[in-house]
Amino acid sequence: MKNILIIALKLAVICLVAAGVLGFVNGVTAPQIAASKAQAELNALSVINKTGTIGDRVEGDGEGVNYYFPVSDNGKVTNYIMSLKSMGYGGDLIILGNFKTNGEIIDAKLMEDAETPGLGKKAENAAYMTKFHGTGSDKPVPVKKTMLDAADADAVTGATITFTGVSKALEYGSNFAKKLGGQQ
Amino acid sequence: MIKEFTKGLFKENPIFVIALGLCPTLATSTMVINALGMGAGVIFVLVCSNIFISLLKNFIPDNVRIPAYIVVIASFVTIVQMVMEAYAPSLYAALGVFVPLIVVNCIILGRAEAFANKNKVLPSILDGLGMGVGFTLALTLIALIREVLGSGTITLPGCVITVPVISIAPMRVIAFPAGALLVLGLLKAFFQYKADRK
Repeated sequence: MKNILIIALKLAVICLVAAGVLGFVNGVTAPQIAASKAQAELNALSVINKTGTIGDRVEGDGEGVNYYFPVSDNGKVTNYIMSLKSMGYGGDLIILGNFKTNGEIIDAKLMEDAETPGLGKKAENAAYMTKFHGTGSDKPVPVKKTMLDAADADAVTGATITFTGVSKALEYGSNFAKKLGGQQ
Repeated sequence: MIKEFTKGLFKENPIFVIALGLCPTLATSTMVINALGMGAGVIFVLVCSNIFISLLKNFIPDNVRIPAYIVVIASFVTIVQMVMEAYAPSLYAALGVFVPLIVVNCIILGRAEAFANKNKVLPSILDGLGMGVGFTLALTLIALIREVLGSGTITLPGCVITVPVISIAPMRVIAFPAGALLVLGLLKAFFQYKADRK
């Protein structure tokens, strides 16, 4: 009995020390991580938005949309940039999408993911998103591989779950933009 | 003493000879830069965990040594993860899920169990360094072959070299997991052949 207590105590000491060290490292690195994420988002915003002025951040619906920025041109809202969340193969996906008020996708960028390098990770490339450009209003957002042309369907083979995650998020964002329909 | 370092490079190379840590090897050997980043992470974790496990070998009770090792290893991996995310975000983004998976890399637990808990600190450091460098060399070699044949490029920190001719029509299969198994198998066969001839 006494022996077991000593073993448990020793294990607890090791865990305590480890937790303390990790807490300290987290304290040092957390501000830096937050800063580099904010910087990455700022860079992405300027890449996917080419028109108008970006307004103040508005909180999302707590489901598929984390938050969004209305983009206006001469006081009139022309499009929305949204931070969308979805599930990929390796975990959560955070996607920044730019939608016209009629739901049409202008551009999108995958911001955060834990996908497999060489397969799902390819969704980080700007070229990956071109197959969604212009869809969402007249043309539906391609959410199945059969809705893509042969070359694009080949490109997502091996990472279908990533593709589904990205496309569902963009479809959700497109519908959300339609619902907002031009309001701030 | 120096033998503790050099054995990990060739004679007991963790990938080609001991065949440990194959999962991250197959997964992260798509690009040279990923291999180097993964290698650096593994060297750091391996050396640190070897130091601490060697120091704590008399403190850790024998019947709970595995959980104790895992706590030590996981702590260092988490440190690597946080530091990498803060100061090398692009590398962190590229390695993704394979950074936390260093915890379950068999090389690290294997060295803790087979070496660090029986030896003094200095030999343990050398063992960790040798195994880590051996892992990195093997990983980089596989990544170099896969990236050149599979994509026609060599991605190094800060620059991308495009290989002429191959980059026009690369062998895509080599970039996929099947290609990783193929390259690893052929290289292992080559090292086995070399070892047998001696």
